[in-house]
Amino acid sequence: MSGDELERKLGGNMLIRKNVVKAGEKTIASLAVILLSTLVISGCANKKPPVTSGTGTSAMIQGDDFSKHLEVHNADLAKRLFISSVKSRTSNGLLEVNLQLTSRYEKSQKLQYHFNWFDADGFVIEARKTPWKPLELHGQQSTTLRGLAPNINVSSFNVYVREIPEKAYKY
Amino acid sequence: MNKLALVTTLGLTLVLAAGCANKSVVRYGDATAVETTDINFGSTDLQKVAAEMTDSLLLSPVVGTLTQNSRPVMFVERLKNKTSEHIDTESITDSISTKLLRSGKFRFVDMGRVDAAREQLKFQHDGGMVDPSKALQFGRQIGAQYMLYGNLSSIVKSNQDKSDVYYKFTLRLMDLESGLVEWADETEIRKTKAKESVGW
Repeated sequence: MSGDELERKLGGNMLIRKNVVKAGEKTIASLAVILLSTLVISGCANKKPPVTSGTGTSAMIQGDDFSKHLEVHNADLAKRLFISSVKSRTSNGLLEVNLQLTSRYEKSQKLQYHFNWFDADGFVIEARKTPWKPLELHGQQSTTLRGLAPNINVSSFNVYVREIPEKAYKY
Repeated sequence: MNKLALVTTLGLTLVLAAGCANKSVVRYGDATAVETTDINFGSTDLQKVAAEMTDSLLLSPVVGTLTQNSRPVMFVERLKNKTSEHIDTESITDSISTKLLRSGKFRFVDMGRVDAAREQLKFQHDGGMVDPSKALQFGRQIGAQYMLYGNLSSIVKSNQDKSDVYYKFTLRLMDLESGLVEWADETEIRKTKAKESVGW
């Protein structure tokens, strides 16, 4: 081994040692940052309101082609969920709606769905009285949701599907 | 340097934790949205049960023929609560009868207010205040043809990580004259509560 080589090696070692010390400082600093940010997130992140948009149809009259009325407000949900058909008919004088809902996701989804009913003039009927109904959709499952108009004056409807916010959010 | 960082971090954390934890704010919420506060019978269960039972009854072919030319008169008998919780079953029957009444297909007599009605009629006849020619007559009320009645039962199971509750609600419609059960349906609810290890 020549002197030059030895020097280079030593120099290299010292450089490495310096780097190690710097790296150590950096690790502590980054750890502190991570710790802080996790605490901030866990403590305060749920101040954000939950995402409550979903997918659904705008008001459609009996016999309309549903695809014209399909509305997607939540692209993430739309990737996992797919409304494949909406059918309606009149039974016992009341408008009955069937909605075919298919999951494109391999895991279970906790959803809620809601129907709105309108009369022939487009006025809402029984506003805010039709409840959101909970629905668990298993992976890749296809299911049919049924809605029944609250009275005989209903001539059009819309339907909306969204997720159930699982955490307690502070608005 | 490092100690300073640590102390600052701790101090900041304390401030943040205290700042985030001690606020209580009152807001109005959506009365019809799905509520998952705990596993007990809640508003969503009540709304779901009432809506499904009403829909099922209104869609059944039997009811289609019953209500074709007339609006049958019904009365609601109290629901039997066979669950392990205290549940206001009258609230469920109220929701169901209100929905049925508002559908325009049925009419109801209210057994819960018979005494009050009798009191009023007595007052009109014996109180000496009401013109006898304008007092309502006794014995003119219309009797119910059908009776709605039902049961609410539950199965509750739990272990250390998970609890599960299952509700079954059965509703029946009886023809009071013949004693035949004309329609029946049941609806089920399953709710589970599990501990989650990670979550924010």
